[in-house]
Amino acid sequence: MQKLKILTAIATMVVASPALAQEITVWDVNVDDAAHATYYDHAKAAFEAAHPGATLNLLSQPDAEYYTLLGTALASKAGPDVIWANGGAQAKALVGGLIPLDDKLPDLIPKLVGKSAFTGPDGKLYFIPTTLQGHVVYYNKALYKAAGLDPEKPPTSWAELTKVCDAFKAQGKPACFMMANKEGYNAEFFLSEAANQSLTTQQQADWLAGKLHWSDPPIKAILQAWVDTAKNGWYQEGGNSQTMFMDEFALFEQGVGANVMGLLSNVAHWKQFETNMGVEKVGVYPMPSPTVAADQHEGAPGVPLDGGVGYGVNKDSANIDLAVDAVRILASPEVLSYLVNDTGSVPANTEVNTSGIDSPGLKQIMGWLATRAVPTTHANSSAAELDEWHHQSQLLFNGEATVDQAAAALDKVQAEAKPQ
Amino acid sequence: MTANSLHQTGQAARTRTRPGRSRRAEARVAVLFLLPAILLVLVFRIFPLFWGFGISLTSATSTDPGQFIGAGNYLRALDDPNFRSAMANAVVVLLSVPIFVTIPMLLAILIHQGVPGRTFFRSVYFFPAILSSVIIGSIFSVVLSFNGNLNALLSIAGISGVDWLGHSATALPVTLAIQCWSTFGMGVLIFLAGLSTVSKEMVEAARLDGAKMWQIWWHVIIPELRPIIEFSTVITTIGLLTSMFGLIYVLTGGGPGTATTVPEYLIWAAQGKLNRPAYAAAVSMVLFFMTSILAWLQIRILSRNANI
Repeated sequence: MQKLKILTAIATMVVASPALAQEITVWDVNVDDAAHATYYDHAKAAFEAAHPGATLNLLSQPDAEYYTLLGTALASKAGPDVIWANGGAQAKALVGGLIPLDDKLPDLIPKLVGKSAFTGPDGKLYFIPTTLQGHVVYYNKALYKAAGLDPEKPPTSWAELTKVCDAFKAQGKPACFMMANKEGYNAEFFLSEAANQSLTTQQQADWLAGKLHWSDPPIKAILQAWVDTAKNGWYQEGGNSQTMFMDEFALFEQGVGANVMGLLSNVAHWKQFETNMGVEKVGVYPMPSPTVAADQHEGAPGVPLDGGVGYGVNKDSANIDLAVDAVRILASPEVLSYLVNDTGSVPANTEVNTSGIDSPGLKQIMGWLATRAVPTTHANSSAAELDEWHHQSQLLFNGEATVDQAAAALDKVQAEAKPQ
Repeated sequence: MTANSLHQTGQAARTRTRPGRSRRAEARVAVLFLLPAILLVLVFRIFPLFWGFGISLTSATSTDPGQFIGAGNYLRALDDPNFRSAMANAVVVLLSVPIFVTIPMLLAILIHQGVPGRTFFRSVYFFPAILSSVIIGSIFSVVLSFNGNLNALLSIAGISGVDWLGHSATALPVTLAIQCWSTFGMGVLIFLAGLSTVSKEMVEAARLDGAKMWQIWWHVIIPELRPIIEFSTVITTIGLLTSMFGLIYVLTGGGPGTATTVPEYLIWAAQGKLNRPAYAAAVSMVLFFMTSILAWLQIRILSRNANI
């Protein structure tokens, strides 16, 4: 009898051991960032409190090679349980390796904004967005004042913006806009910012579906604006060999340029600039349309916006239910509030309390989000189109290609990526 | 046949079979010694090669094994302007090989001739060879940026600045110049090793016959160095085709446009940026084919020189 009891105990332990040793692995590029530490600590604590015996293992991955490593891991079915990704083309390229979350988190999903960047071609949601990402123009109020401009009245139309840049051009220095397009990112930002109030809702939908082409007048006009602004000396010289996240924003903070196309979350955003330059020096405005007059664009002024980053669940995970719950916790209002307060990211969950953040810049941004938020045009482009836009934007910037040539090359890539 | 002769015949047979057995035993030991190396080559070289070739015939992505599409990815490459641009850049890179070989050869000859401070020069020339391409790329990104040191120097002379890495006309030549700077130290060492085998008597005889310096170089030293020049040409060519990624990634990111995109960079872009592992595998096979031809040339050249 004693032997039977011992055998039963051993058998129970053997059967229970996988459950006791359950580990959910998360791949994320921000784990080593000190500003994110509190958020991850609280997520881990909340997960492990909800699931005694299970652990949440957050693994930092190198930013530059992240999608290469992830792709290789998923192909060999050795990927993590929970996958971090940027919204848009990168996230959409991964949906084949993930499970849809619509039925898994029905209570959470209605409270989220920015879902289109994480929605697959089947209309299902594959990532839960945690932060929003979008674009606005930040400007240096002190430089505006020195140039004889009213720092409290940022431009609201393309004509006003042209006058602002003419004023800086007349001075010689600083540059009107910072430009760093070595990786092609500035061209992405320009596309989304210029398209924001240029395209109608229908045109945005047609763009996503691949029915609005690069050579169609609304988009071609944006390419032309890219060329014209470069030709008219809006940017500092050498933009094609300047890196965005290493150089551009630091140079803006140093006063090398008066305006910069920035982000809403994580980096190059209101919090970074207000902290490094001083709240009183930083202003923000949505870029006006280069093609549609201020009083004729559709809807109220708004900003291009989409899901910034999010978490999905690997379909080959051995613990799908636990992984789903890890995603729920990472996106929960309680845990997300630490991320928002520490990093200044704009949360995708509408229940996160941001009232404790006292920033004039953020208040303005939240006001635009409330009136009109349109999808970021670049997030609704395919990865291949964006890659080609990186190439073509550099050639256009140098005058080494015409707008027609660039549009034709981009049309070809779009037709392959989004066949009709 | 007497018993004695039978005995002798048996002994002869044994003496014939013993070396045979011994050779077989030796062969077995040799195979055992070779087996780990053969297995490593099979597992880490040959198998991935065939595996990659298999993938190149499919429409696989990172999350989907895809379908068999035959030569689809290879035909797609022919229609891909980025691939054509990468191949055109590879040709430019190959055309620069004589410069990559000549500079270290001339410097090595000068050092060998006994220029003052030759030990110092030998060390200094080799110094960049121990730096990683990422460090070199970062240094030159700063030096060559529009507001960098080179343009600052030029402005002192009244010459307006150039965006060296941001214009298609200058980006690839500048990248190649940096690659040359960072690798020529190794070439100098190879040529110095080769020069140590050049007959001093022959050089001295030429000098006594009244040959000038350039005549000694042209008619005595360089012909003696021919095997080293050929070897250096082949390894430099293969190195340029397969080891410029780090430098290009840091310096230009393959741009502007595709001005500095070479096949190995395109492979990374197809896999890492566009989620097209099958297409990346197809371009890899093309690059493998190119380097295989060069490897074949290398073997042919070395064999020929061995028979001289």
